[in-house]
Amino acid sequence: MQSFIWVTDLFLLVQREEKQLEASLDALLSQVADLKNSLGSFIYKLENEYDRLTWPSVLDSFALLSGQLNTLNKVLKHEKTPLFRNQVIIPLVLSPDRDEDLMRQTEGRVPVFSHEVVPDHLRTKPDPEVEEQEKQLTTDAARIGADAAQKQIQSLNKMCSNLLEKISKEERESESGGLRPNKQTFNPTDTNALVAAVAFGKGLSNWRPSGSSGPGQPGQPGAGTILAGTSGLQQVQMAGAPSQQQPMLSGVQMAPAGQPGKMPSGIKTNIKSASMHPYQR
Amino acid sequence: MEAPPVTMMPVTGGTINMMEYLLQGSVLDHSLESLIHRLRGLCDNMEPETFLDHEMVFLLKGQQASPFVLRARRSMDRAGAPWHLRYLGQPEMGDKNRHALVRNCVDIATSENLTDFLMEMGFRMDHEFVAKGHLFRKGIMKIMVYKIFRILVPGNTDSTEALSLSYLVELSVVAPAGQDMVSDDMRNFAEQLKPLVHLEKIDPKRLM
Repeated sequence: MQSFIWVTDLFLLVQREEKQLEASLDALLSQVADLKNSLGSFIYKLENEYDRLTWPSVLDSFALLSGQLNTLNKVLKHEKTPLFRNQVIIPLVLSPDRDEDLMRQTEGRVPVFSHEVVPDHLRTKPDPEVEEQEKQLTTDAARIGADAAQKQIQSLNKMCSNLLEKISKEERESESGGLRPNKQTFNPTDTNALVAAVAFGKGLSNWRPSGSSGPGQPGQPGAGTILAGTSGLQQVQMAGAPSQQQPMLSGVQMAPAGQPGKMPSGIKTNIKSASMHPYQR
Repeated sequence: MEAPPVTMMPVTGGTINMMEYLLQGSVLDHSLESLIHRLRGLCDNMEPETFLDHEMVFLLKGQQASPFVLRARRSMDRAGAPWHLRYLGQPEMGDKNRHALVRNCVDIATSENLTDFLMEMGFRMDHEFVAKGHLFRKGIMKIMVYKIFRILVPGNTDSTEALSLSYLVELSVVAPAGQDMVSDDMRNFAEQLKPLVHLEKIDPKRLM
């Protein structure tokens, strides 16, 4: 009885596995068909449109291929997929005659299932040279040691991310500045200098600090107008003192003389006060 | 003496307080041509107008710390044009939303003996410069693109040297007080000159 149950269990297991194998084979088949199609179209593009081809278009094709290879890998790694490694394919019949079924299934590519075709199509190991190179690479990798390998991986990752960052920054900057030519059309420092020059004469002919308090030295053009250093009010108050040579003195004399009210800054009021008190001490 | 903002003062004496709305920027010499072309397209269709002016700034120093400033301008290439006397008040720093610099402005055309008159009044010349450039108009907006030349020998307008390698660009409107929508129009016009020139309100006190 036990053995009978065990046999049925085994049978069910085998059936399940068979179903899984079939399903995964179907998935794999569709993926490989897609990959084949995109490869074919890429080759066609390269062969026929090579003079019109642009780098972005080539990149697109490569991206498509890479995506498809990725999905293929995912399908193979899927948990429901049995290990194909465990399956063995043995050719049962080899004949040099044309096989219509085979032709149909392979879309006309393999007309005959003969001893020339079988070694290529049922191959499981890579070419001897390729196998040599792979063995070489694996021994090299093992020789480095885990720590050094890890460090190398990290540095590679860091360099890649740096490069990516630089590229994206360059792209961002050039997008905004690429529309106009590289040269600047205005200089903000110049703007400030010019505005300062117009507003209060910064950088122009006078070297005296502007806005200094008190009457300044008469180093101005038009020497004959030294008289201008004093106002009408002052002149009158000083009762004829030679105001030309001592503008400083006049300033001192002005303060304690106690003018009638403050000296206002508006022209109108200046005139007004002068006319009201022409000869007051 | 801090005057109240001019926009609040009543209209007296039959004159309306005019305000100058101002936006300034600059353009480097090599980009001047493109700016001129753009302005010719944007502004009113007129013959391109150039000017060569000599401006002198006079100060009257009083007891107060801030002297009184008057600007006298004469045209060096137009014979017979009157002299131009201008008073510009302090910029009004009220509204942050206002896009242009606003200050009180009084413009007077005078005869040729303006400098003598000012000297007699007690003014002294603080600085002078020569401005050479182009003038454009759009409606009430005036756009001036000019280069400032420093006068090396005082009083001699032939010996000049350029102050910098840029042209100053000024967009100004003289309008009665209280018309703030003018600054919106100015800002819209200034947008059209970007990115060649960046016109903005520059507070001169910041640059002192």
